[in-house]
Amino acid sequence: MKKKIFKRMMATSLVAAMALSMTACGGSSDKDASADAEKPAAEADKAEEPAAEDKAEEPAAETEAASEAADASTGEASGDYEECALTISWWGGDSRHEATQKAVEAFQKKYPGITVECTYGAWDGWEEKMATAFSAGSAQDVNQINWNWITQYDSDGSVFLNMDDYKDVFDQSQIDSKWIEMCRASDGSLAGIPISMTGRIFYWDKTTFDEVGVAIPTTLEELMKAGEAFKAKGDDYYPLCLGEYDRMILMVYYLESKYGKDWVTGSTLNYSKEEIVEGLEFIQSLEDGHVIPSIATIAGDGAASIDQNPKWIDGRYAGIWEWDSSASKFSDAAEGREIVVGDYFPDFGDNKGGFAKVSMAWAINAKTEHPKEAAMLVEYLMNDAEAAKILTSERGIPVSKAALAASEADLNPTVVEANGKVLSWVSNNFDPYFEDAKLKNSPDGVYYDVMGGLSYKDYSVEEAADILIEGVNDVISGAE
Amino acid sequence: MANNSVAVPGKKKSFKDVCKDNIGFFFILPWLIGFCVFKLYPMGSSLVYSFTDYNLFDGMNVVGTLQNYVDVFTDRKIVTALKVTFKYAFFEVPLKLVFALFIAYILNFKIKGVNFFRTAYYIPSILGGSVAIAVLWKAVFRDDGLLNGFLAIFGIQGPSWLSNAKCALFVVIFLRVWQFGSAMVIFLAALKGVPQDLYEAASIDGASKWRQFFSVTVPMITPIIFYNFVTQLCQAFQEFNGPYIITQGGPRGATTLISLLIYNKAFKEYDMGMASAMAWVLFVILAAFTAVSFLSQKYWVFYSDEED
Repeated sequence: MKKKIFKRMMATSLVAAMALSMTACGGSSDKDASADAEKPAAEADKAEEPAAEDKAEEPAAETEAASEAADASTGEASGDYEECALTISWWGGDSRHEATQKAVEAFQKKYPGITVECTYGAWDGWEEKMATAFSAGSAQDVNQINWNWITQYDSDGSVFLNMDDYKDVFDQSQIDSKWIEMCRASDGSLAGIPISMTGRIFYWDKTTFDEVGVAIPTTLEELMKAGEAFKAKGDDYYPLCLGEYDRMILMVYYLESKYGKDWVTGSTLNYSKEEIVEGLEFIQSLEDGHVIPSIATIAGDGAASIDQNPKWIDGRYAGIWEWDSSASKFSDAAEGREIVVGDYFPDFGDNKGGFAKVSMAWAINAKTEHPKEAAMLVEYLMNDAEAAKILTSERGIPVSKAALAASEADLNPTVVEANGKVLSWVSNNFDPYFEDAKLKNSPDGVYYDVMGGLSYKDYSVEEAADILIEGVNDVISGAE
Repeated sequence: MANNSVAVPGKKKSFKDVCKDNIGFFFILPWLIGFCVFKLYPMGSSLVYSFTDYNLFDGMNVVGTLQNYVDVFTDRKIVTALKVTFKYAFFEVPLKLVFALFIAYILNFKIKGVNFFRTAYYIPSILGGSVAIAVLWKAVFRDDGLLNGFLAIFGIQGPSWLSNAKCALFVVIFLRVWQFGSAMVIFLAALKGVPQDLYEAASIDGASKWRQFFSVTVPMITPIIFYNFVTQLCQAFQEFNGPYIITQGGPRGATTLISLLIYNKAFKEYDMGMASAMAWVLFVILAAFTAVSFLSQKYWVFYSDEED
């Protein structure tokens, strides 16, 4: 008898342990676990509020919202909204997570009755995750998206909500129409709201340049001379470090400065083989002149990215060519070193070549059950003064005039300087297929193949140019 | 599952009897459902996709095409990835088996603290392909890393492990060879099963330890060697984590194994049709290798219950 009881107890505890372990597995395998962890707290906050208070607060919220809507000259007052649960997703680093969560909390306070569940993570693997979610229709209501997702996921305008239909909730007048137009899907619908604009610019490690005894380069000629001076200092010292994709973008900026025309228009590559060969030779001359390390050298450093490369951290690589919005990541990594924003080189050519792109956008899932409330959340995150002060430059320098005015004092001055320089310089248009996975994928994308092959001497410049032209044409031939 | 009821011709079975007869299915139902939903259905649909141009966002426009399969054998990148995968498996599997068997053989002796060593050697297998391992591996193999630093003590200038195509594949192979724990444990169990009297008889006949190993131990454990060989071969052809976390397939595609390329095709280029075709080609290759291995059994695997 005793044995039987013991057996039963054992069986029960084993079943319980199995059930527990299965729940645990579910939790740990879910990347959103951390986001969900936030949820109970938010919900608990809400639960503590008595229902009567909820109701009492509502009219105040309504008037506040209404007055704001009137301020922003939006037609309908967004005060009358449905109580609902929204979901939002974004990628980024810890500081962006914290700021966005705070902004979401503030939104919930402003609009009682709307709860927002956050899902967030690092960029690694994020695109794959969201691609499948959009394809399956299970993406969140509001999503931070990469600009090229509009062309890639929304080929028929059915994936993202047309923001033009919610003009009375989201105030488009706060954003330069030039940037708004860049977020239209192929059917003309407004698939996303640009959060910030970004372009590539040089950042220099002034500390190293001072050590080497060379001034920060302001022309290509000075940069080439700096290469020699750095070589004299040590074989592993370089004034600039460029990965494969950095090389590609610099080459396009160089060619656009020289020839003025856009890299691609629609389904036409505007550059001839001779011109591209010239661009590739320019990149190769940087490597030959000890201005940039070879791709093999960078691979040998064993770092996942330049900001994690010990040679950038300790100053042996003294320059980068990066998105202006990424400045803080690089300057934080090079702790104790003075990182300054560089200038574009006038001796690249007669034109102010280069492009700015929408660094990221807010887009609403077309399948959302609460489009208006989702648009209210986007309006809040984009244009509300309170949110702007919380979010500052976490997603680059905001393009929303209202947000910029409210947060100007809190913005990272280096990013502001870089962004100002980029937007006042670049004059070429950006092709949405430039970042197509077939081109940009590491390591089997065309850019990686061309620039890596050139650096490893697997290809001559002519061969590399042929591969690049074929690869780009293959991708853009699908464009209108 | 035992059925005591005797079937009488012409008499219909009662519902209870039918239930009793098939109760086994009820017990395996959870597994069966899981298998159908998570294995059979995805496999079936991927086979269908492989004959289409299915793209995650553009949908299916061409159905019933063999183009994907033609591309698998003509696309330069895919052919290179297949070659790299063969090379990987060719070196990784034997190295891992030899290493695992060697360590298991040593750990089979009565040494002080042997249990500690058994645990210690198993630890790398638990770590798998995590980010921490990627950091460790890069720290060891980068140009100014631990290994080259160690070689420098003896005046040897080590190669650039991560940027040289040949060395990079070795770095990725070495990760899995290092994680030999599970194969080792199985070998250890097999070694324990070899009857001691065979060794006694061999030593009376004057056989050296070396001779005993090759003439007694190895033949006795061939079924286990065979088992480990097949499982490791399957794992090697499907290897993904190692190159994904350490080299991301670089340098110049030298560590882009076929599974990595399948992943990129499916989840970065959203070309599900092509990715499915590649996966099926990999499946057929693996099935062929496994079949050949099974056929080769009769030449080198000895089961103790076999008659001479």
